[in-house]
Amino acid sequence: MALRIGGMVCAACATTIEEALRKQAGVIDASVSAAGQCAIVRWDPQCTQARTLMLAIEHAGYQAAPDTAAHARALRRTEARSALWRLFVAAFCAMQVMMMATPAYVSAPGDLAPDLKRLLDWGSWLLSLPVLWFSAAPFFAGAWAALRRRTIGMDVPVAIGIAVAFVASSGAAFDPGGLFGHEVYFDSLTMFISFLLGGRYLELRARHRAEAALEAATDRLPQQVQRVRADGGVETVDLQQLRPGDRLRVAVGEAFAADGVLLQGATAADEAMLTGESRPVAKAVGDAVTAGSMNLQAPVLMQVERIGADTRYESIVALMRAARHQRPAMLASADRWAAPFLWTVLLLAAAAGAAWSVFDPSRAVWVVVSVLIVTCPCALSLAAPSALLAAAGAMGRRGLLLRRLDAIAGLVAVQTLFIDKTGTLTDGRLCCVETRRLDGGEDFSTTELQGLAASLAGWSQHPLSQALRQSFAAAGVVWRDVREQPGQGLEGLDEQGRRWRLGRAAWAGAGDGLIAASERSVSILACDGRALACFVFDERLRDDALAAVQALQQDGVKLQLLSGDEPARVQRIADLLGVDASAGAMTPELKLAALRNAQLQGQLVAMIGDGINDAPVLAQADVSIAMGEGAQLAQAQADGVLVSNRLADLVQARALARRALHIVRQNMAWAAIYNLACVPLALAGWLPPWAAGLGMAASSLLVMLNSLRLAR
Amino acid sequence: MDVLYLLIPFSAVLVLGILGVFAWALFGGQFDDLEQHGERILRDDAAAFDSDQAR
Repeated sequence: MALRIGGMVCAACATTIEEALRKQAGVIDASVSAAGQCAIVRWDPQCTQARTLMLAIEHAGYQAAPDTAAHARALRRTEARSALWRLFVAAFCAMQVMMMATPAYVSAPGDLAPDLKRLLDWGSWLLSLPVLWFSAAPFFAGAWAALRRRTIGMDVPVAIGIAVAFVASSGAAFDPGGLFGHEVYFDSLTMFISFLLGGRYLELRARHRAEAALEAATDRLPQQVQRVRADGGVETVDLQQLRPGDRLRVAVGEAFAADGVLLQGATAADEAMLTGESRPVAKAVGDAVTAGSMNLQAPVLMQVERIGADTRYESIVALMRAARHQRPAMLASADRWAAPFLWTVLLLAAAAGAAWSVFDPSRAVWVVVSVLIVTCPCALSLAAPSALLAAAGAMGRRGLLLRRLDAIAGLVAVQTLFIDKTGTLTDGRLCCVETRRLDGGEDFSTTELQGLAASLAGWSQHPLSQALRQSFAAAGVVWRDVREQPGQGLEGLDEQGRRWRLGRAAWAGAGDGLIAASERSVSILACDGRALACFVFDERLRDDALAAVQALQQDGVKLQLLSGDEPARVQRIADLLGVDASAGAMTPELKLAALRNAQLQGQLVAMIGDGINDAPVLAQADVSIAMGEGAQLAQAQADGVLVSNRLADLVQARALARRALHIVRQNMAWAAIYNLACVPLALAGWLPPWAAGLGMAASSLLVMLNSLRLAR
Repeated sequence: MDVLYLLIPFSAVLVLGILGVFAWALFGGQFDDLEQHGERILRDDAAAFDSDQAR
């Protein structure tokens, strides 16, 4: 079950909610994503109910709602409104408090009458009340929730800081010269709270925008479809009532509701969601269309083949959801450090307070407040997850969907890449690789023969004919009496009345000895019973395979071709691509053994594959990528799916991953330097609380913005 | 300067009033989508005028 969580402010909250959920009876597993603001819970329906789980989350101090778009939108709106409302109250009151504080700063000593000073202090106190009780409530609630669970969250130091400052200032305002002296910090306090809320509000806006974009991408199927009945009439039915075999009418600008084939009409489809390619793809009768892609040019009729969870669209949406719930290992280590860090902060603050109260009691309070505030480790906890998520989002738009965020680090470190041949390097279509002239063909040049074959092939839809047409320019021959003998070949008369045949050796009238056993796909062109030429076909490389392989090799990745195909054919592809290591006739077990061998030598191994036979190898590899056209099982085992089927995207993704790790390091360094620089300043008493608040909000924001550079 | 004793409490009350006005605007939905109204002019189905502008 997926739940959306409201009220989460930083990464540490995710751990809190996870623990709260895991304590519930019947919960098998729970994972919470701070960046995605949602939780995935696996639970036993016999032991507990969804309602109980949601109550548990609410008990921990957050809101929960089932993950449906409408609820989520409403939750987002409430969250945005209340955040803005808190921010406005804090900022506006802070402004007024500052005006009241100004006379005390600018007046010469003795200029300000003591009773006027007290009136101003009271006014400041009154205006600070709403800020403290209303605007700062999330900090207190968060701190209280953390303390009650006997853990320590980021809100704890902040809440203590706010409370200490307020109590000390109130004491000074109502009992000047008493226990707390006569210095008030209402201006610093309210300004700090508004900076903090301002930073959180900006974070909230950025996150909401990301969520809305993801929802828009995953919410593209129409709710209702136009189904054509058996009698030819059209009825409007809900998406859920659709069955495979139904025929649908799809209007222009509508999304295809299911995977299927085009029955009538020609159009162009926008498959950007599936491939990252925004250029429209032309679709003719018989072409496959995918759910979620947009019909752009003309109304068409389609036949439904797969619906619901079986569609490529749904599997991609599921992948996106899974990626959002990942907690990379890098993040887990950051979580481990959070608690000791926070304890250190509290102890430091207490020590500083004790030391200053001996030397200069009047400054002790705000030194403590500054230390507590300036060290809030929000920036540190945001450093890795924000960058990794932004990178995963950017990769998703460029054709590589990641299921595990860990794969980003793996993608950079990979040393050996195993590539499957069929379906990965090649795209399953054929092309003519060799034209062999036979004895009877002296009257024609090779080009003429090729042109004639392509021209005659234009009359057939057979894959070999299509390959011939694509390989050669057709000669302008007017054919008569063209006839296709299924399973044999084509026959036609040219202008001079010669009878041409194109097809199997026996059909064309050629002897058996012409064809070697390893050549499975050949076609013979014959004229009046004389065999003239033999065309040999092989799988076609993907357009970008050569460039991608070269780029990867230049990048220092060792490539190795693994294929279940015959060694000679594998060798031919390897030679074409310039790959040194290749192995043919590999069973899945042999592939697995080869990969384990490389791993035993201490190499970090990646694998790209597409078929069911690759699934075990993909599961074993350190980083695994499945092709988007490949089998569901392979995709389920892989860390990422290359939905665009473009190998060049892998090269790009690798560059992006490298940048992401670079930015994570930048973020970590920045957060660490910030803390190292500011804590001594605060301890020395050179950093007033308002500056501490500004610095903390700015450092969090800087980390977020730095990460968002990846998303462009 | 005696007027300050009146003006300072008065300003505090005024703040509450302004907060109230902002709350009314916020919860009336005026800040929910700041881009939408700017983009409305670009959309085909949008009316050329607001209803109170049409003559």
